Amino acid sequence: MVGQQHATYDLRRLAAQIRLSATRMVAIQGFGYLGQALSSAEIFGVLFGGGLVRPGRDRFVLAPGHYVIALYAVAAAVGLLEPRELESYGKDGALLEAIGTERTPLVDLVCGSLGQGLSGAIGFALAAHLAGEERDIYAFLSDGEMQEGQTWEAAMFAAHNCHRMGRLVVVVDANSSQVDGPVPSVLPIEPLADKWRAFGWRALEVDGHDVDALSAALASRSDHSQPLVVIARTEIFGRMKSMPAGVDGHFIKLDPALERALIAELEAALA
Amino acid sequence: MRKPPYEITLKPYGQALLELARQRPEIVCLGADLTRQTETDIFRDALPGRFINAGMAEANMIGIAGGLARAGHVVFVNTFGVFCTRRCFDQVAMSIAYPALNVKIVGFMPGLSSPGGPSHQAIEDVALMRALPNMTVVEPADAVEVRQAVAAIADRPGPVYMRLKRGETPIIFDDDHRLDLNRAQVLTSGERCDICLLAAGMMLPAALAAAGVLESRGLHVRVMNVPVIKPLDAATILAATRHSRLVITAENHSIIGALGSAVAEVLAEAGLAVPLRRIGIADVFAESGSREYLFHRYGLGTQNILNAAWRGLELEGPVPAAPVVESVPGAYAPV
Repeated sequence: MVGQQHATYDLRRLAAQIRLSATRMVAIQGFGYLGQALSSAEIFGVLFGGGLVRPGRDRFVLAPGHYVIALYAVAAAVGLLEPRELESYGKDGALLEAIGTERTPLVDLVCGSLGQGLSGAIGFALAAHLAGEERDIYAFLSDGEMQEGQTWEAAMFAAHNCHRMGRLVVVVDANSSQVDGPVPSVLPIEPLADKWRAFGWRALEVDGHDVDALSAALASRSDHSQPLVVIARTEIFGRMKSMPAGVDGHFIKLDPALERALIAELEAALA
Repeated sequence: MRKPPYEITLKPYGQALLELARQRPEIVCLGADLTRQTETDIFRDALPGRFINAGMAEANMIGIAGGLARAGHVVFVNTFGVFCTRRCFDQVAMSIAYPALNVKIVGFMPGLSSPGGPSHQAIEDVALMRALPNMTVVEPADAVEVRQAVAAIADRPGPVYMRLKRGETPIIFDDDHRLDLNRAQVLTSGERCDICLLAAGMMLPAALAAAGVLESRGLHVRVMNVPVIKPLDAATILAATRHSRLVITAENHSIIGALGSAVAEVLAEAGLAVPLRRIGIADVFAESGSREYLFHRYGLGTQNILNAAWRGLELEGPVPAAPVVESVPGAYAPV
């Protein structure tokens, strides 16, 4: 992790700033992974602006690489990334790629192929345990990748080895959106919290757009007898009023009129 | 053959699969949360009872396909090339290839045609599938071939892997072109041959463009389209290369394990001492970017073929420049 920022922020404003930056980044090409940033803005705000992820010390794993736009946006807002870098997002040759890769800054691990992130986070947890290091391991997962079997192989392992996991915290952006449509229409994953509990985890469910509830859940300490998963219930467009119904949430085509409407709504929120 | 920039068409695979499935009730269609992206939305809408969305769970999908095939179905499995090859390789090997089942695995976004970076770029899918016994590996070059390939692979007993460009598909061949799963095709032929240029899939337009430039410099070039990488049509390839001074392979894939490797095996085992140059991804993972950017950056352009030809024949003077084909909206231009 780069930088050494520890300040905390007005998390509601930070979430709006993340959405605004993401909208401007997607507007460069007119299409992209905007829904991911709109749904997860509060999660990224709380993780990086709420004093949870300590850059340089903790590990951050971004399992769905399509969400890297939200990471760039929050990083620019909290001083981990030069804001003008955002202007290169998704361009040929740019460091800030649309789907995270091994070149991606600011993360310890990012996966563009879904369902593999939690396993990597467990590897970081084991390494910290072996080295006797006090690190928290945060893993951001999306709900769609709960369909991949590897997620559950990893969940089973982490609970069985929780004495070696240190403080492993998983947050799931449960926006119920995947490429082919709402998650329940493709392959239902509910009851999600009960599934994680059955695999030996302490599972909390919160409104993923409520920064106070998110902060409290992610900061909650347990007795290390169980890893923690926070299921953040979100909406793919982050409750933005300007977003018309029927838009493809996975990969948004942003026409100039929609871009102007989104930016106006977000600038009003920040005014 | 048509001239660049090539006219394009949309969903030739999806349409052909639906037409065939209407005649063949044993065909079923599987997907993994990429329905529109794999052109199978039209199948889903027309024949919903025979369309199965496995969700984002490819290993399970391959196992399901094996069960359906054992029960007598011809199963088309559709997702991005990376997800149906590298992600679930053991399942493909044990549930499909080993029992030689009638499963046709269709992998979209080959090589550097995906802007999504290494996680979405199938640069070794052909190598993986070619290594599996019983597997046929097909890569059509244009929409005319795609339309014929669907019925051809359905009729071919056993497992098939077919890699397909996603989205706008160029039309390169005339309507009377015939795809034959047993034959490579010599597209330009004369008595003499200085350079034999073998291309697969998306590299055919660049090969044709390069051949045009080389011909204009007085060289005799034989262009071959190789839509079936396994089993490779060794007889046609040997006949075409036997009296060449240089052989060049061009593929939108790693240079390891696919067309270039397969041709090298054929040439070496036949004892041909002709020099070989392989155009492809030089054993590296790439990055995100547009097709034009990535093809230039990773050596898949017409210019790269010209460079290989010029240097391979140790010709004098500067390498001729690749023609610049204006990129027109709604048309496909080689890089």
